[in-house]
Amino acid sequence: MPKGWQVGIDVGGTFTDVIAHHRARGEVRAAKVPSRTDDRIAGLVAALGAVDLQWADVDDLIHGTTIVTNAIIQGAHARVALIATRGFSDTLAIGRQNRRHLYRLDLPPKLTPQVPAERRFEVTERLDHDGQVMTALDPDSVADAIGRVAASGAEAVAVSLLHSYANPAHEEALGERLRARFPYVALSHRVNPEAREYERTATTALSAGVMPLAAAYMDDLEAAKPEDSRLHLFHSAGGMASPAALRDLPLGLAASGPAAGVAAAGRMARALGIERAISFDMGGTTTDVCLILDGAAQIASDRSLGGRPLRQPMVAVESIGAGGGSIARLDHGSLMVGPESAGAVPGPACYAKGGDRPTVTDANLLLGYMDTDRVLGGDVHLDARAAHDVIAPLGSAMDMTPEAAALGVVRVANAAMLRALRRVTVERGVDGRSCTLLAFGGAGPMHAVALARAFAIDKVVVPAHSSMFSALGCVGAEMSYAQQRTLRMAADSWVQARVDGVRRELRATLAAPLSAAGHEDAALTVEEVASVRYSGQSYAIEIADAALDDPLELGRTFIERHRALYGFATEEPWELVSIRMRVAAPRNGEVRSPTTKANEPPSPTKTQPCTFDSGGSVPTPRYDRAGLSPDSSLDGPVIVDDAWSTVVVPPGATLTADDAGHLHIATGAGP
Amino acid sequence: MSGAVDPITLEVIRHALSATAEEMSLVVMRSARSPLLREAGDLSSALTDADGHLIAQGRDIPMHMGVMSFTVREFLKRVPRDRLEPSDVWFLNLPEVGGNHLPDVKAIRPIFVDGAIVAFAASLAHWADIGGAVPGSYVAGATDAWQEGLRIPPFRLFTAAGPDREKLDMICANVRGADEREGDILAQVAASRAADERVQHVCAEHGRETVLAAIAAIHDRAEAQMRAALTAIPDGTYEGADWLDDDAGGGGPVAVRVRVTIAGDGARFDFSGTDDAARGPVNTTPFIAAASVFYVVKTLFGPEIQPSGGCYRPLEIVTRPGSLLDPGPESPVVGGNHETSQRIADAVFKAFEAVGPERISAGGPTTSGLVLFGGRRADGAWTTLYEVHGGGEGARHDRDGAPVVRVHMSNVMNTPAEVVEAEFPIRIESQRLRRGSGGAGRQQGGEGLHRAYRVLTDDMSVTSMFERRVVPPYGLQGGEDGAPFRVTIARADGSREDMPGKANLRLDRDDVVIVESCGGGGYGQPETKGR
Repeated sequence: MPKGWQVGIDVGGTFTDVIAHHRARGEVRAAKVPSRTDDRIAGLVAALGAVDLQWADVDDLIHGTTIVTNAIIQGAHARVALIATRGFSDTLAIGRQNRRHLYRLDLPPKLTPQVPAERRFEVTERLDHDGQVMTALDPDSVADAIGRVAASGAEAVAVSLLHSYANPAHEEALGERLRARFPYVALSHRVNPEAREYERTATTALSAGVMPLAAAYMDDLEAAKPEDSRLHLFHSAGGMASPAALRDLPLGLAASGPAAGVAAAGRMARALGIERAISFDMGGTTTDVCLILDGAAQIASDRSLGGRPLRQPMVAVESIGAGGGSIARLDHGSLMVGPESAGAVPGPACYAKGGDRPTVTDANLLLGYMDTDRVLGGDVHLDARAAHDVIAPLGSAMDMTPEAAALGVVRVANAAMLRALRRVTVERGVDGRSCTLLAFGGAGPMHAVALARAFAIDKVVVPAHSSMFSALGCVGAEMSYAQQRTLRMAADSWVQARVDGVRRELRATLAAPLSAAGHEDAALTVEEVASVRYSGQSYAIEIADAALDDPLELGRTFIERHRALYGFATEEPWELVSIRMRVAAPRNGEVRSPTTKANEPPSPTKTQPCTFDSGGSVPTPRYDRAGLSPDSSLDGPVIVDDAWSTVVVPPGATLTADDAGHLHIATGAGP
Repeated sequence: MSGAVDPITLEVIRHALSATAEEMSLVVMRSARSPLLREAGDLSSALTDADGHLIAQGRDIPMHMGVMSFTVREFLKRVPRDRLEPSDVWFLNLPEVGGNHLPDVKAIRPIFVDGAIVAFAASLAHWADIGGAVPGSYVAGATDAWQEGLRIPPFRLFTAAGPDREKLDMICANVRGADEREGDILAQVAASRAADERVQHVCAEHGRETVLAAIAAIHDRAEAQMRAALTAIPDGTYEGADWLDDDAGGGGPVAVRVRVTIAGDGARFDFSGTDDAARGPVNTTPFIAAASVFYVVKTLFGPEIQPSGGCYRPLEIVTRPGSLLDPGPESPVVGGNHETSQRIADAVFKAFEAVGPERISAGGPTTSGLVLFGGRRADGAWTTLYEVHGGGEGARHDRDGAPVVRVHMSNVMNTPAEVVEAEFPIRIESQRLRRGSGGAGRQQGGEGLHRAYRVLTDDMSVTSMFERRVVPPYGLQGGEDGAPFRVTIARADGSREDMPGKANLRLDRDDVVIVESCGGGGYGQPETKGR
């Protein structure tokens, strides 16, 4: 019997965010608790407890986790054996032969391969690039390789055969034999069915390496979960995925948390009718930005994690190493901010936990943006004196007041983040000035208006639940699966039957777990993105809702898009490189808190002096976010606090609250 | 110091200009037509000030960036400023005009703000063919500059009205793969247009005078960083030498010799002792010599030095006219760009061994390892596979060398076997580590690469341009040398031939070209390994 609660839980490195939604009652509960890495299940139970729920009260629990991300970054993966085509088992050691650091001889130029030579084996077989069999898979070599894998002590097996993306038969045959003896087997055409052997093999080895860990976690989750409660995980490409699917393809969790935040931003953009948006999630050590067009986060398939290629459809989040903890210093007459960070330990000087260098957070505090009467995370008392003491010397070195120096630190930090905004928009040929900035995360709403102004953006939205946005993304997610397939079909030798065959296969593969979860096949929605390029070009242009049954129409769309992106287009031959498909089951996940229109205008909790770009100290009223009624409008300078974050509205900007709890800020910048 | 701009505005403008150069490279890589640009990224982007001094760079190939510090300056000596107009894009490739070799074609665009030039955008792209005697334009037997291909003096190809069709046709008529070349040209123009828009925006936001002051401060800062780095080197004179395998014209090894004088916060690098110009295409330009010197100094003494024009101010670089490094405009240079540049770097590194051997690495794959295949695809189109091969890194005092990697002046990637097979009439028979090729030592040199290419068409040309075939990667402090580079052609008839380091040959169907790249040198006496 349904109990009515849908719960999103996002487990981050430091905090676990939880949002519970009871649609029938229109009730929303939210909390933030410290993450528990010692016992993750106990952490989930504690998070539920923080919103007065037990797991048995929950119909659907949607969970974002960093477990796979951390394992990859820390190199804490299982011992993997690799089976490759005869002559190609060193691909991981060769890589792309480029070095990581151009001007550093002291640092190793390449990462050590994930699979050492003694666990790399070969089988006799060969395909060509069209998938034609040139040498059949030799059974004796298979038996030999399997024997060697067994003797190597490997915990998981990765199989990556040349051109397997064009014909999976040999990998499938090997996989069948291997699965009879080994619990964890990753086949490259399933993990990443695309050309370029190094990237595909590396991705497959990573996938194999985190399979045991992911499977153990799925076991723990399923053992702890009450019988009549459903469990879903948040997928890196947006949408949900079942524990069963993630046992086979655990890299779907590699960007679980950021993807959930971006998904929530996408849904919000759709609900508010915002065509072009940039999500801006600034935390203590990193800042994530992502372009959202027509309510859909952009997806990339060529990311890397921990220095290794990870070719999986993932939300195209651009992550930069700048955040509240970034350290400011003077170097030869230039004020530099980052990349060095005070991190969580010792943290900014104003946290009084041993930090003694000026950070962005110290600058924000000195400018009056943060409320020194509040206690952060239950135990951090902000120390204004300490912030002043680290910023003041920076000011005297620049012959400036501490306030001017602090403004400078914020401006330079914003300049670094501006580059990330520029990259995500330039990459997709979008004029950034036409976007709305969606600010969330701990520090995002503090910097958003200044950053937007520097980018000539006139509108910022700080959504409801902005400080636990990933959890919100989880609770509202739809269940979906996505995969990309390489075709390389030239327009002048178009074979509709082959295109349709690939689409049918993709749809069947992607729909299977949804059907297994009880969704009607007819109700599933399918999105297709075609990657098209001029024959011989490397980078393809992605075309959503592509006319995959009308090559003429597809060609016209491609030429239009090429001209828009690069300023030129030609009549040269083009080809369809790949199709990415996403299959989703419909679900109404909208989370809406009940709001009531107050009769009285909101009143400030206090007034504090703040310093803004315009210079000089200005008395600035602070408001409690919960006290803002719909349609209330406040002219800057104003500061709005909730339990976990601070929204800074400088002079010249105007804030308006809507009835869904979103804060809309007109920055005053003209495009 | 320039006092007109505060440290905050300076850093904000620096970010904006660097982002502009990065964006240029992104635009070229995303829209270029040839695999060399799109897969291997053999390109660079720069912004210079109004006098042509580098202020920001994008995707960074040390060799290109060093050269681009000179391109616009030399261009301005040829083209009077009053001939430049807004939205012009000029192309050039002459080595003697701040260049290196003909295939690296530069597009230069003056950026005007309020009627005056504030900056230049420069986009360098390696064209897969620039005409000349053989596909891919690596003419191993060239004895003069004109045999190497189309020589483009500063040439206004685009104006505000668009392309100059006749000039574009003139270029396309003289290179192989005209469609591909035209696509690459358009990509370079698109990059320069993006830079123009960004710089306009930066000037509108901060004011032109502030931006100019910031540019001056960026130079001053780089100069101060370079002076600080040089001050840390003990004063004195240091000497180093390294040798090319041959003169690419039938003669023996050619020496690059440097005499480094460090005095306080300045340094002089005198290459006068280098041998005379070579008969074949391993000559290079003084600009390449400067690029190599800058690379070594930055790497050894100041990785944080900003590569702006100011950092060259304390460096005096002397080349002797008539020598390998300053041969004059008539000498062939195509291989000197990536081979001799690495010899220069090796010679300067060796000079600094006296400052502390733990700072430097044993000899590595200081060669492009270039093997270039040219032929027609099944559809009849001309195609060239320009493939560079990394080798084993030289060991260091505290670690073994890495396998198969590019070092020093270049960092161009390989082409994946799956891409080679899909786009060229070639099959990769195997690609693996060349085991046992690293030099023994207390720390072991890295392993080279073994890769075999089978020809699947009846008529194909193959060009080699590589080094370390005769003079092996050196061991340091008692470490052994790495195995030298070797390319073998296994003919379909069963015969085998050892391919010279600079040659143009023909291949037939089922011939196999086996590339074995060099291993890295070892560091320290081998018997003390593991201590």
